Amino acid sequence: MLRQIRFSRWFRMRSEVMRIDVNAGGRCALALLAGVLSTWLIPLETARAQEDKHPFFVGAAECAKCHQGPGFGYQHSRMLLTAHAQAYASLALPEAKEIARLSGIPQEPQEALMCLGCHATAAEAENWEKEPTFHVEDGVQCEKCHGAGSEYMAEEVMTDPKAAMAAGLTKPVKDDCLNCHNVKGSHAGVLRGKTFDIDAEWERFKHPTPDVWEYPPEPVLPEPVAEQAPQNIGSMMCGKCHGVPEMGYQYSAWRRSPHADAHAVLATPRAREIAKAAGVQEDPLYAADCLKCHTTAYHDPAGGHAESYLLDEGVGCEACHGAGSEYSLEAIMRDEPAALQAGLKPVTRETCLQCHENAHGKPFDYDEAVKMIAHPLKHEVQTTTVRYKNPLRLAAHPKRPELYVTCESGNTVIVVDTQRWEKVAEIPVGGHPTGVTFHPDGTRAFITNRLDDTVSVIDTLQRQVVATTTVGDEPHGLLTDASGQYLFVANTSTDDISVLDVNSLQEVKRLEASRNPWSMALSPDGTRLLITNTLPRFVPFRSPPVAELTMLNAETAMVEQRLVAQGANLMMGVCWHPSGEFAVCTINRTNNLVPMTRLLQGWTITNGLAVIWRDGRVDQVLLDEPNLCFPDPTDVTITPDGRYALATSSGSNRVAVVDLTILISMLEQATEHERTRVFPNHLGKPTEFIVKHIETQASPRGIVIAPDGKHAVVANCLDDSLTLIDLARLEAIKRIDLGGPQEVTVTRYGELLFHNASITFHRQFSCHTCHPDGHVDGLTYDIQSEGIGLNPVDNRTLRGILDTAPFKWAGTNPSLPRQCGARLAVFFTKIQPFTPEELHALDKYVCTIPRPPNRYRPLGADLTPAQRRGKAVFERTVANDGRVIPRENRCVTCHFPPLYTDRKVRNVGTKMELDTEDGFDVPHLNNIYDSSPYLHNGIADTLEEIWTVYNPEDQHGVTNDMTKDELNDLIQYLMTL
Amino acid sequence: MKAWPGSRCVCGTLSVVLSLLLAAAGAAQDPPESPAAPPTPAAQSAPALPAAAAAAPSDTTADAAAAEGLPYVYTKWRHFNLEDGLPHDYIYAVAPHGSKVWIGTEDGLACYDKETDTMQSWKEKDGLPFQAVAGIAIDPKTGDVWLGLFGGGLARFSGGRFDHFHQLNSGLVNDVVYAVAIENDHVWAATTAGASRYNMVTKKWSIYTEKNAPMEEIWNYGVCYDSGKVFLAIWGSGVLEFDVATEKWLEYLDPDGEMEIDLYRDDGIVHVITTSVSYVEKILWVSSYFGCCRYDGRHWRGLYAHETGLPSDFTNNLKARSANECWFAHDKGLGVVADFPSETVVTYTRDETTLRGKADIYRAGKLLQTVDMEKGVCHNFIVDLNHDGPDTWVATGKGLAWGIGEGYYPGLQSNPQWLEQVKSPPVAEPVASANQ
Repeated sequence: MLRQIRFSRWFRMRSEVMRIDVNAGGRCALALLAGVLSTWLIPLETARAQEDKHPFFVGAAECAKCHQGPGFGYQHSRMLLTAHAQAYASLALPEAKEIARLSGIPQEPQEALMCLGCHATAAEAENWEKEPTFHVEDGVQCEKCHGAGSEYMAEEVMTDPKAAMAAGLTKPVKDDCLNCHNVKGSHAGVLRGKTFDIDAEWERFKHPTPDVWEYPPEPVLPEPVAEQAPQNIGSMMCGKCHGVPEMGYQYSAWRRSPHADAHAVLATPRAREIAKAAGVQEDPLYAADCLKCHTTAYHDPAGGHAESYLLDEGVGCEACHGAGSEYSLEAIMRDEPAALQAGLKPVTRETCLQCHENAHGKPFDYDEAVKMIAHPLKHEVQTTTVRYKNPLRLAAHPKRPELYVTCESGNTVIVVDTQRWEKVAEIPVGGHPTGVTFHPDGTRAFITNRLDDTVSVIDTLQRQVVATTTVGDEPHGLLTDASGQYLFVANTSTDDISVLDVNSLQEVKRLEASRNPWSMALSPDGTRLLITNTLPRFVPFRSPPVAELTMLNAETAMVEQRLVAQGANLMMGVCWHPSGEFAVCTINRTNNLVPMTRLLQGWTITNGLAVIWRDGRVDQVLLDEPNLCFPDPTDVTITPDGRYALATSSGSNRVAVVDLTILISMLEQATEHERTRVFPNHLGKPTEFIVKHIETQASPRGIVIAPDGKHAVVANCLDDSLTLIDLARLEAIKRIDLGGPQEVTVTRYGELLFHNASITFHRQFSCHTCHPDGHVDGLTYDIQSEGIGLNPVDNRTLRGILDTAPFKWAGTNPSLPRQCGARLAVFFTKIQPFTPEELHALDKYVCTIPRPPNRYRPLGADLTPAQRRGKAVFERTVANDGRVIPRENRCVTCHFPPLYTDRKVRNVGTKMELDTEDGFDVPHLNNIYDSSPYLHNGIADTLEEIWTVYNPEDQHGVTNDMTKDELNDLIQYLMTL
Repeated sequence: MKAWPGSRCVCGTLSVVLSLLLAAAGAAQDPPESPAAPPTPAAQSAPALPAAAAAAPSDTTADAAAAEGLPYVYTKWRHFNLEDGLPHDYIYAVAPHGSKVWIGTEDGLACYDKETDTMQSWKEKDGLPFQAVAGIAIDPKTGDVWLGLFGGGLARFSGGRFDHFHQLNSGLVNDVVYAVAIENDHVWAATTAGASRYNMVTKKWSIYTEKNAPMEEIWNYGVCYDSGKVFLAIWGSGVLEFDVATEKWLEYLDPDGEMEIDLYRDDGIVHVITTSVSYVEKILWVSSYFGCCRYDGRHWRGLYAHETGLPSDFTNNLKARSANECWFAHDKGLGVVADFPSETVVTYTRDETTLRGKADIYRAGKLLQTVDMEKGVCHNFIVDLNHDGPDTWVATGKGLAWGIGEGYYPGLQSNPQWLEQVKSPPVAEPVASANQ
């Protein structure tokens, strides 16, 4: 192997020398190149050289040094003429942006790993894995299908098939193509009519090496016209600036134009026909007469050619705009006279006519041609995306008549004047603001930004963000202690509490919560901080859920007690009674161990309140009533006099008013049996203590008592409004508009359907109940009706779900409409299914639920050493004992990037006693760290258990030969996907 | 500072070492039936002091020593056993924290609350993930209690909830955990197959074995952290130092190689088979089955029973209290280097016949004084110990002892108060009233 490496490096060096020789007589390295290379390319090369890491991607141009010309069937040119070569450039098209938007991908497609995974080569690779000769702009090139070329590119390796394969050369099969080309809902919806026939494409795309092959002639560039004349630097260099959205993606526009193919087309039979007819005897790919109009260099020989210039770019930028070495510097380009003086040529009709007039007898319409190759600097007019507010939670200013409302979709905090009851300000904060609280002195407000993993600090006088600090993953609820010394932040994704020093904003410690810590409430005496956790604790397989309330000592900032509610989950809002004797919080009681058929008995998902007593006892009561459920209880507050608790039902657009005097009296007079066994499931009891339901607008989430103590205010998430409730009359008296768009888009309609329980029998639950905020509730369900306990399945996230069809663990539902249509009615909702119009809207919304950025590998970041070792394990083909791992048993075969699923049903030996099938849908692995438990039935609490416990026969990848540190490395890599 | 005894000496013979090893193997299961410590050579050669009921020094040597300065001697002890609520009387680990004292036993975890004088305990039926609690470390920031489970991995006890980390469900390298230590946001576990480091914030596991650390053997016995450095005591691989800032390793091996004798004294650690480490005030103390040693960053100093008065070379554990004070858990009693500069050692043993306690004070290996006490350590096979402000807690093969350090002072004092008390014991015996 070492010899191969040395040879390949020698081969590369030889190539470099060749290019330098070609430029002999030219000037020194260009200033631009020098700058770029010195700051970017050279350090990468040096870093790798120092560490001697391999393999790495060398770029298509390196392959072309052999795989070109008649002796190799013009393989390189043929590749350039395929859509593969334009795959990256196509991501600049409006259709690509639309696909990304529909898929909930917030980045520009050319910057999104999910898009680049199929539209570029080496998208998942680290920077050191890419040679300076490698360009992501080349789209899907040789190494995408054949593997990184550094180890097998040397002649002596490539001419020995076994050695080449051993050095990493891969020969794709049709399934490999389908990993990217399988039908994707996102693409099918936008690129209507474009289908992919693998068999036809396989034949069309074949590019076999001839049995008797011959190296191509060395490309010859024309002699420089003059020593001082500007040099061609190549379009790739222009693209460094002209390839970004701010420059209208001009490089990509050129790349998609016939100009970029101008050299490659010379390798076609048609070109040879034309050449022959014109009396050109040479192969047109090498004939100066043809190259004059099919390449930049021959068209405009200039003062030479920089190393970055390649002949096969065809008619590049400089063919029309002049050799760029002197004007390409940004400072000159921004000064038009200077640029013109430095060689930038104005493009006129004559520029084009030099080649296109009477070319091969084809008529030339200049005006139409200009339109065809249009590459305007400015963006085309973009359709305005409707941006809603989605108010989530509220907090009352401790000293002023103001409410702060976090708007999740608006990325703002809205300030409401509670005397005039109107919006008075809107403050931009971070991504997906959720929680809000004030410092006890009222000078600062603290906002959690769930998408950004940060807390914004707002100066309440200036009404602007004055500081931002990073906390744990997906922060939600937050509060300070009574003295304002500590700020406690619930990190939902990392299951812990960040404790910040309020003044320095430094995190002083991290406390372990349960799972998905959500909301907080400080006891009236300031000593205890009660935190709800929405996901239940891990419990033994097929056991009822157990929810935890984490109680902190607010003064010492330590966990004091962990209270549990048996059978409960999705604990969300929490509020202390003014007496300090108890707190209440909203709960679900999900009977996930019985088949969903029990829905008809009103007993699958019930909704209620927990009463948490000062001594640690937890009572549970329902808020559901017969035929009138209270779906998705989300938040709760208590009136200042302690009389009423007001809870929101985001699934039925109501607030329930609970008379606490009655409720507490009922509990105190009950027997132990009633409190533990009867009340938690009793649908009749709520009629005794719920004194009123108050209608709100769509999807009421947060609720808070206004500063005047006389009103409660509800945040209507999907109406962009607040509902004002008069506490004396217990009536809604006003809708406060927060200024969201009036238009209801199809996606918004779907969002409304998703969050509303009207579709289920007795309105017991909504889609949102099991997929809170599009994610998971951490439970396994018995959905099928074939018997109690059969085929339990883990709930799967909806984040980034669009292109992961088929759906269902059995993989039997090919599309989301199928998944959410009739099947939903049969197994879940038990009443009429969604109408086609509703289904369309629902599916549109579900597809836009975004997947948060991966926290273990930010885009563009290199892997850590452990992650890098794990990647090698993930991609390994040989076990530790030397066995070759069969292709179908390698991780990467089924979990293929960028979705890390081949979207097939596979038997990996995980069928268990309760399962009737042995094959399961291959799950995608994106953000896998955030969706425990694992396997189809959720039996594995951790990633480790998938292999240490549930892969005894090496059917789910070959893993039993691995040492513990190798498994740790593998898991660290999996977390980056 | 006076030089410690011995220029070049041999600390034992191979047969002695083998017998000690065999004893260690047996001791891991059961404390010796007759663990009364035989007198050490030093003790035999020292002037014998009469032991009175109230054990007061009575000869001129002792009086002279008292005038020159004596270390603090714990004369008030309280014992805890099954009848006091301990789930088992073989105590593996003890870790005081605030008003609570966490106790790891062969079959269960216990917590003694000093304020309420109550004992609470947990066995597997109560949620304890595994019966044998071999190591305990309390995170000073969060208050969470981390438990090293001898065969069961690692557990976090927080707010009444046990979280179980083992080699099948986490990145922990092995389930046989001997010791745990907290280093900033990390918890370290010394296991029989390497060391694990768990980041409590990022939830990331690291493993250190022969692959990525200078660990010739991977059987980790002890771990401690202080002042930016983690030290591992490894069976057969000496002591490893891990610099937290640089993540670089430094190894301390016995320059005498694998010889069971210390050919050249004070040239490094006593033996590559180490049992525990303690790093306080930038002084490293190391225990082994063949003696103990101290390292100040430049000089090593071997500490052997026959020349110091320590009860035995066979040392299960140790805990330093300062640069000059370190406590050793021996198989034949509790040894304390009470004042390193003056070579002053105190040993605590129990007379298995009379069940009375005894403290012997040595200087440069010479017995200065013996203090007879109604109650001392509760067993001579000492497994672990820990300091608790002025108090000390001693885990033994049969029960837990609480040494009450009223009037504790570091170093030496002339005619200290405890001496006066033992000379003239109060009428009402304070220890007798302590729940025994």
